[in-house]
Amino acid sequence: MAATANLNAVLRQGRGKGPARRLRRAGRVPAVIYGHGDETRALSVDARELEHLFGRISIESTIIDLTIEGDGAGTVKALVREVQMHPYKPEVVHVDFYQIHAGERIHVAIPIRLVGTAAGVKAGGLMQLALHDVAIRCLPEQIPDAIEHDVSALEIGDSVHVRELAVPPGVEIEEDPDRTVCSVIPPQVIALEAPPVAAEGVGGEVEPELIRRRPEEEEQPPATAQGGAEGSESKKGQR
Amino acid sequence: MLAPKRVKFRKQQKGRMRGMATRGNTVAFGDYGLQSLEPGWVSNRQIEAARVALTRHIKRGGKVWIRIFPDKPITKKPAETRMGKGKGNPELWVAVVKPGRVMFELEGVTDQIARRAFELAAAKLPVKCRLVVREGAAEGVTQ
Repeated sequence: MAATANLNAVLRQGRGKGPARRLRRAGRVPAVIYGHGDETRALSVDARELEHLFGRISIESTIIDLTIEGDGAGTVKALVREVQMHPYKPEVVHVDFYQIHAGERIHVAIPIRLVGTAAGVKAGGLMQLALHDVAIRCLPEQIPDAIEHDVSALEIGDSVHVRELAVPPGVEIEEDPDRTVCSVIPPQVIALEAPPVAAEGVGGEVEPELIRRRPEEEEQPPATAQGGAEGSESKKGQR
Repeated sequence: MLAPKRVKFRKQQKGRMRGMATRGNTVAFGDYGLQSLEPGWVSNRQIEAARVALTRHIKRGGKVWIRIFPDKPITKKPAETRMGKGKGNPELWVAVVKPGRVMFELEGVTDQIARRAFELAAAKLPVKCRLVVREGAAEGVTQ
């Protein structure tokens, strides 16, 4: 059953990067709301309220009761469709809300949660998760928080595929059934030391081969061409 | 050490490192990532030193991804050489790193081990770094 939360938003008039930057400086986050058959509206939400909300909900699967100020619609139900973050600061740059309607099936990505410790992991293997989220289609009130799968029986070399995931009734998985969700791989012996490098070429390393397209009559073996070029360069440099 | 196998040209111009990493700035493969906070050139020796520090600390049972590749040749003129007479010879390979770039990723280790491993690896790199954690992977900094 989908969790719910509340958030306040204000209709915004200005568009483009100038007004958006002014909003961010004023402690608000630009946002947009759209939906099937609905008019697209530009909004802004309070940055602190949004940060607090994102800290306590599962962003993909929580239905948000969005109260829009300055709009006749009042409160609408929406899902967070996309969150744009700053490249390295923990700041939200923009949020997309997707307006939902009761009785209309929606597409949403739900996280996969592995339950238990695999027998193969206890034996020294490594659990490798290849698919973190799975795309599903269901009614808004049927959105699960996560899709759980028990992996305690997995041995080294075993895998879980999308077709093996159990979903609640009314939920339909939209991924390729043969796609691998996770696998237990054998323990890897990681080379700690770098392989010895042949001490030739410039700087004790082998110079890479040059990708050159030459006319056929002038074509020479690449090693000779490269060696010649290197020789002339090094002579120039030593003068 | 990492280096290109084939290149079109032996030497490159210096270039500028303006802006931030607009791609490769999220944890994509593992659960933990080491993210750059400033621009810089990371050489193949530094990448190798960081990789060795990571793998030594996690011993076995984890997986490491290196998400940068040193594909830019840096030239140097020999010592005690007069100026002129052309550009110097290629000496090392570097990866151009911008703020936000996730350089290394880890999976299959505990939160404590990942934090310490990335601390050790960050000490080998010429840029300020921070640890980033995939949302839902563990408690800590989330993206």
